[in-house]
Amino acid sequence: MGKPSDLLQGTLDLLILKTISLEPKHGWAIAKRIEQVSNDALQITQGALYPALHRLEQQGWVRAEWRSTETGREAKFYNLTRAGRAQLEKELAQWERLSNAVGLVIRMV
Amino acid sequence: MKLERWWNLILMRLRSVLRRGPVEQELNKELRFHLEEQVEENIAAGMAPDDARYAALRRLGGMDQIKEECRDMRRTNYLENLRQDLQYAFRALRKSPGFAAVILLTLALSIGANSAIFSVIDGVLLKPLPYPEQNRIVRVFFTSRTFPKFPLNPFDFRDLRARSHSFDSFAAFTRADLQLSGTGQPAKLNAFRITARYFRVLGLGPERGREFDEHDEIPGNGRLVILSDRLWRTEFHAATDIVGKSITLDAQPFTVVGVMPPGAEHPGNDYHPLGYGDTVDAWWPFTFEGDPNDRGPHYLEVIGRLKSGLKPGQAQAELNGLLAQIHREHNDQNSDWRLRLISLYQEIVGPSERMLLVLLGAVGVVLLIACVNAANLLLARAAARHRELAVRSALGAPRSRLIQQMLTESLLISLLGGGLGVVVALGGVRALVSLLPADFPRADAIHVNLPVLAFTLLVAVAAGFLFGLAPALQISRTDLQKGLREGGRSSTGSGRHTRVRSVLVVAEVSLACVLLIGAGLMLRSFLNLLRMDRGFRPEHVLTASIPLPEADYKPGEAASRFYDQLVTNLSSIPGVKSAGAGSDLPWTGYDENTGFDIEGKKPPPHEGFHARYHGATPDYFRALGIPLIRGRFFTEADNKAAPRVLIINQAMAARYWPHEDVVGHRITFSHAPKEADWARIVGVVGDVKDKPNSSGAEPAFWMAVLQWGNTRLSIVVRADSDPRRVLAAVRREVSRLDPSLALGDVRLMDQITDANISAPRFAFFLVGLFAVLAIVLAAIGTYGVISYSVSQRTHEFGLRMALGATPWDVRRLVISQGVKLAFTGVALGVFVALVLARVLRSLIYEVSSADPLTFTTVSMLVIFVALLACYLPARRATQADPTVALRAE
Repeated sequence: MGKPSDLLQGTLDLLILKTISLEPKHGWAIAKRIEQVSNDALQITQGALYPALHRLEQQGWVRAEWRSTETGREAKFYNLTRAGRAQLEKELAQWERLSNAVGLVIRMV
Repeated sequence: MKLERWWNLILMRLRSVLRRGPVEQELNKELRFHLEEQVEENIAAGMAPDDARYAALRRLGGMDQIKEECRDMRRTNYLENLRQDLQYAFRALRKSPGFAAVILLTLALSIGANSAIFSVIDGVLLKPLPYPEQNRIVRVFFTSRTFPKFPLNPFDFRDLRARSHSFDSFAAFTRADLQLSGTGQPAKLNAFRITARYFRVLGLGPERGREFDEHDEIPGNGRLVILSDRLWRTEFHAATDIVGKSITLDAQPFTVVGVMPPGAEHPGNDYHPLGYGDTVDAWWPFTFEGDPNDRGPHYLEVIGRLKSGLKPGQAQAELNGLLAQIHREHNDQNSDWRLRLISLYQEIVGPSERMLLVLLGAVGVVLLIACVNAANLLLARAAARHRELAVRSALGAPRSRLIQQMLTESLLISLLGGGLGVVVALGGVRALVSLLPADFPRADAIHVNLPVLAFTLLVAVAAGFLFGLAPALQISRTDLQKGLREGGRSSTGSGRHTRVRSVLVVAEVSLACVLLIGAGLMLRSFLNLLRMDRGFRPEHVLTASIPLPEADYKPGEAASRFYDQLVTNLSSIPGVKSAGAGSDLPWTGYDENTGFDIEGKKPPPHEGFHARYHGATPDYFRALGIPLIRGRFFTEADNKAAPRVLIINQAMAARYWPHEDVVGHRITFSHAPKEADWARIVGVVGDVKDKPNSSGAEPAFWMAVLQWGNTRLSIVVRADSDPRRVLAAVRREVSRLDPSLALGDVRLMDQITDANISAPRFAFFLVGLFAVLAIVLAAIGTYGVISYSVSQRTHEFGLRMALGATPWDVRRLVISQGVKLAFTGVALGVFVALVLARVLRSLIYEVSSADPLTFTTVSMLVIFVALLACYLPARRATQADPTVALRAE
């Protein structure tokens, strides 16, 4: 299995957007969530997560705010903006199309 | 939603740039939180605390790298670099205030001068004329081999207008001033007679009332007038019910039919010229009188608005076809008149275009020299920072980063220079406008405005790149090892640095040389203009025009008698030496021509005898100081009852009676002359050129006013000292003869001649100014390079002197280096000037564009200045103390 950093950049963006689409999360929680849901199949390099988050913030897809966690510590929570939600829809649709297409090719050949 | 997103983005970027501290802290805090969570998880999984921390750090990856990547994502890194570079550049400038002052001042001056000249070009050449769709407006002229631009005659114009399909509107106008009375002081009005739809051609409409139509062109359909906004306000108190009212012009009632809005600019005309934008007070209808079969004299100036999409060439072809047809119908097959269309824009700004472009070129050269200088100064500093840059490079700074830093510095300098340049331009433009020749078109459109500021910014940035590039490239090519090894000491200064700088000096010396040669040529030409034989003596001469209203003074007897009486009275004013009246004054653009027959001569086929005609009283020539060459002046005896007489100029005598004594010959203007129609030539006077720079005089003759009876004469009064002192007495004499008359266009003849050489003076003054600036800059540049190389060779000189060289030997060494540069520069400059001076040809007068005197003088001057610039460093070189120099090793 390739290193998780081999994940296409767009894919990492998609995973992050999807992960915070239900509720705001901080970086640590996003990383954990992705690993957990994918049964550790997708171990993202934690280092790659933060530049990605900052990029999404700069693009206006996500917005960040400082809040306390359940353990009372201050953490930076990332929240999906309206533009981000639209972007997520778009990327999801794209992903569906791509994986369907790839699936078709794999089955046919 | 889009907008909101952009707004948030902008806020975020701004925050990243402006509030760097908090943003960085947040990044740290965020990553620390992540680490701690990971540590806790590791501990919970059973690791020892220290191991847990290491594992967490490993898992996260390089902290600094992540931070850098996050910063990159914020896209503020380059801004951050820029900030650092700017800080660095500012510090460097502050540290060497002398360097900063020289470089900023020269840049400010040259950029400012460029902006000032550009604002003139913008206002005069680039801005469209203030008429809607001005590019469709054309002037229409007759043209022939002898007369390139000639007015039309009324019926040719009317036939062309009726038949042509090329124009939206097609109109004619001709200068015909009026005397306004009945509103206080009588006043002379600048007025034009215009045909129907004249204003439609210009795209203007009256503010009140209407403009003239074809009905108004029919003689006897009432005297009508359209007033200018200015006249309406000053003389009629902006009366809102003015339209339909009657006013008194030329002692006759005129009905006001319209008032033009302010800014109805006069398009300029040639016949009794008023420049573009000059004040016109009133317009009255042109009426087509007389027999349409008599194609009459030519005095209509024609202007047309082309149908949209039509090229002037197409319209010209159509008009020429129509003209040939009209000539056939009138059995005038011999006429060689053709029609010529010139766009109104070209007609107005064309004459100033060449001069302005030359000025722009000159000022551009000054900027180039300033850039070369700045590059030189920066190179010198870069050489001093050689070691620092080598170290940075060794520590891993990429080349692009070093180039970026150098360019940031040069751009900062050029932008500061540009900022100061705007201040220079603001002052410069005001000075320029006040220096502009009085008849310069569109002077009031010259301002430092947005395009000018944009131009300044562009020039500043371009200059910054230009003079920053050489040092930047040089640095990026720095040889690491050598840079570090050479360290602070260098025995001869690195060879390539000196070579680049020498090339730059040669370039600026040659550029300065080119400018100085240009200025020299213009100076010689200007001196020629001042020294040339004008053909008349303008000192102590007062002039004015006194048109007579034809209602009170029938052309002929009454008018002649008035002028005759007036000049007699004027001559008896104490302090007046002589007084005369004539149809016109020298150098005022008068151009009335007529054909004639010469007794006993036949003109060559397809050509006629023709000359410019004037009128004069007996003392007109004496008052103007025009010399009598042969024969006699007019006398009181040359009146209506006496045989007709003429005075001609030398040019006419030489053209039609070469090698003959012309006095006593006769000419006539009648095709079937009776004895009384012959006019005898009684005198020959000296030539007066049309304009100071025209190559010769046109053939011309004068009729005796007493036999002619024109109603629009100018008076010429020669006083024995300042003619202004007799002005009041002149006015008194005029109003004593007729209190309803106004004195118009009161000017000293000196003012008229001065106005005629103000354009070359303006061009010469500016080019001269730029040339002086150029040579000073070049001197600074040469001085800089030589003194830098001297400081680099202190050690070598010390050694030479320790080995027995005399101070003179060392001095010669330094000076010969400078002289070599200067000679190369001058040689190049002379060559370039020989090629370029051709563009000056139309601007210089009686000087060859390869004038040897100018070229030698300038070459010597430049070499002398270069020697001067080398002398100080050379003296310093000999002061090197051998012991100090050797110990420094």
